[in-house]
Amino acid sequence: MLLTLDILTTAAILFIVSIGLLAIFGVLKIINFAHGAWLTVGAYCAVVTAKLGLNPWAALPLAFVIGAALGGLAEHVIIRPLYRRPLDAILATWGLGIVVGQLITLAFGRDVQLTPNLYAGTVEILGVDYSAYRLVALGIALAIGTLFALTVERTRLGLSARAVIMNETLARSLGIDTGRVRLVVFMIGAGFAALAGVLLTPLTSVDPNMGVSWLIGAFMLVMVADASYLALAAACLVFGAAQVLISTFVSPILGSIAVAVLAALVLRISPKGFSRA
Amino acid sequence: MLETLPVAERAAAAPRGRRLSRAAPFVVAALAALALWLAPLVLDTFAVNVLTRSMIYAVLAVTVDLLWGFAGILTFGQAAFFGVGAYATAMILTAYGATPLGIAAAVAASLVAPVVLGLAVGWLSFYHRSTPLYASVISLVVPIVVVQLIYAGGEWTGSSSGLVGFDVLPFEIEGYFRLAALFLIVVTLAAWILVRSDAGRALVALRDNEARCAYLGLNPRRLQIRLTAALAGVAGLAGFLFANASAVVAPENAGFLFGTELVIWVALGGRGTLLGPVLGTIAIDYLAANLSGDLPFLWQLLLGTAFVVIIILLPGGLADLVGRLWRVLPIGRRRPAPPRLVARAAATEATGTEATGTEIPILKVENLAKAYGALTVLEAIDLEIRAGELVSLVGPNGAGKTTLMRCLSDGTEPFRGAIAVGGTPITGLTPNRIVGLGVGRKFQVASVFESLSVADCLRLARAAHDGLSPVGQAETLGLPQAALDVLRMTGLDRLLTQPTRLLSHGQKQALELAMVVALEPRLILLDEPTAGLTKAERTTIGAVLKALTAEGRIAAVLVEHDLDFVREISSRIVVLHQGRLVLDGTVEAVVGSELVRTIYAGGGHG
Repeated sequence: MLLTLDILTTAAILFIVSIGLLAIFGVLKIINFAHGAWLTVGAYCAVVTAKLGLNPWAALPLAFVIGAALGGLAEHVIIRPLYRRPLDAILATWGLGIVVGQLITLAFGRDVQLTPNLYAGTVEILGVDYSAYRLVALGIALAIGTLFALTVERTRLGLSARAVIMNETLARSLGIDTGRVRLVVFMIGAGFAALAGVLLTPLTSVDPNMGVSWLIGAFMLVMVADASYLALAAACLVFGAAQVLISTFVSPILGSIAVAVLAALVLRISPKGFSRA
Repeated sequence: MLETLPVAERAAAAPRGRRLSRAAPFVVAALAALALWLAPLVLDTFAVNVLTRSMIYAVLAVTVDLLWGFAGILTFGQAAFFGVGAYATAMILTAYGATPLGIAAAVAASLVAPVVLGLAVGWLSFYHRSTPLYASVISLVVPIVVVQLIYAGGEWTGSSSGLVGFDVLPFEIEGYFRLAALFLIVVTLAAWILVRSDAGRALVALRDNEARCAYLGLNPRRLQIRLTAALAGVAGLAGFLFANASAVVAPENAGFLFGTELVIWVALGGRGTLLGPVLGTIAIDYLAANLSGDLPFLWQLLLGTAFVVIIILLPGGLADLVGRLWRVLPIGRRRPAPPRLVARAAATEATGTEATGTEIPILKVENLAKAYGALTVLEAIDLEIRAGELVSLVGPNGAGKTTLMRCLSDGTEPFRGAIAVGGTPITGLTPNRIVGLGVGRKFQVASVFESLSVADCLRLARAAHDGLSPVGQAETLGLPQAALDVLRMTGLDRLLTQPTRLLSHGQKQALELAMVVALEPRLILLDEPTAGLTKAERTTIGAVLKALTAEGRIAAVLVEHDLDFVREISSRIVVLHQGRLVLDGTVEAVVGSELVRTIYAGGGHG
């Protein structure tokens, strides 16, 4: 039971962390290595909210807005000139991540920050005491997933985004302002990443480099999912389960690299990853 | 200056100039070695210590530059190989001490372990149809895995605190400085010679156009894996030196962050220039050691900002800036002398007669079918082609002509039925192996190596037969007579040193044809070789094809829309329509047929 809950909530957290990266990879076809920095920015929004004495949940909208605004700026200045050089975009966004990390360090210092728990306590489920927050996170992941699915399937932006994913040249010639779609999607992706940063605060320590440790896992999941959010959900479940099981029964250290290694192997065997299923 | 010399004098001057320019790197290296040997006498201890480390890092920068700047493989993984070499050294020296045997074992382990890991990583990263992004992904995963293994290693690896206090080589800090300097100079010089050799051109060719490499019979996978493994070994040796010089190894030395730092140094110095990354790494690491004590965060901030700016605005790095200034200076520059073209006796003549043995057709297609999902593109194709035939494949757009060509040249395409080249079934074979069977393919859109010269492109076309020198540039370029004819008729023989990207569309088409002919194939596949060409160029190509097949040893299949051209040169015409082979016969029979008129209704070609 405990194991099942662990697997479900781990998958949920992985999903929350990677959905923003997926949106950007799907539409812009670039790997946003500043993703870790957006996570960090979001977490520090929680720190700021706490310092201002506001309700911890107020950090969520704040992080989304700040993340989206910074994302818009980054898209305009850094990503746009590099559309035709995807490998260079990886490097430039990594550089951006360094800059953001150092700016945060200059503003808040290098130390670990404490944040109030968003939802404290435990809940008893079928005879097991379980962290209430992890269950809340599971709910939030489902909510984000639903929201994302509705945006993709039901809105005009989603339609345009899907058109750009399939064939950007054709989409442009049909009068879709693809530059705008890219900008909006990048902003949404960065916003979701910052949101994820807030949601991570009860689970990890907050410091200027916290994003990097999440980046690689999210990145590998997105590579496997190949621009499909359903595939991403499946990948999070499968690799999340692998991570939990290996950590529990073999070794926590091996568990921490399970996602990256398994994803790499899956890609080697089937380059389209989970998206074909 | 040399431009004005009469031809004869220029020819005489060329070898002398070449000898001089060949000696130059050695002279520079010797001077650098001398300067660095003396440097510890004037530098203070801190500088000597820091620069020793910087020079070891610069060795890694050279390996990153070879992989990324030249071969186009963006890698974060060199840190892992470096870490493995350093840890292997530290672990062995901890166990056995710095005895001669211990040192020898450490050197061997710091070379072999990374090479083995490099082979594994290469196998994982490079396969038929792998993408550059995937290789970068793997290069990210490797250091992460290595670091976690180090954490998991307990006493063996010192876990998170690393290893310290092991015996090291009996050197003073000056000794390590000189050792690092010599190592750096040797590695840089070797890399310099490699990238300027003919084999070095193959690295650039891989970066430019991997598919073309495969269709020249080179195995891109094998080249990339070998390069990865060899440079992993170099990084491992750098790790050996590092472990000795610093007497401490830590998990960070193998980490992904260090891997990204290496890439940053190379990018700032100037990828693809070797000297840029070397000087960039030394300068940045030295500055970092001096500045980061006073303003640690600001230094990182500046470096990060500079990195972003350079990537966006100056992809060539600082070396590019220096190069531009250099070109402004009025210093005489010599164009490299073109290699001398020589005709080579057709090597296949001997093997040709036995293999052609008139019984076995060069190409035999049986019941070929191919579908993309529910869409059937080819169905029930039977075709036999013998030496000496020049078969035109015609049909309206969407008839499946290009798909058929693709199936004939790439056995990994999922198709049903059987295709055999000279009796050998090709199902499952990668393009380079099919080229090995004697198939040459010219693409619809000219596929050449944009950053190489005409001569280099041609040399690569011969590489599968003649090999490439990893140390120098051959002064002659031996091509089969037919390829020489193509060059002569199209005037490309006078443009041998011209960079390919400056050629006209027609010249690129001709160059690709010459490259394919230089492979000495038994079967040439040409996809619309005359599209977009002038009448004169078209006639030239037609004449070449007729001459090639007329000797009766090779066959050609071409996809063509221009029915006049087809009628002029073909010995046989095959008509494809809606994925089926509807007609197969002599020129007269096909051109006169009612069916062709109906298919091309209104075309009025007939």
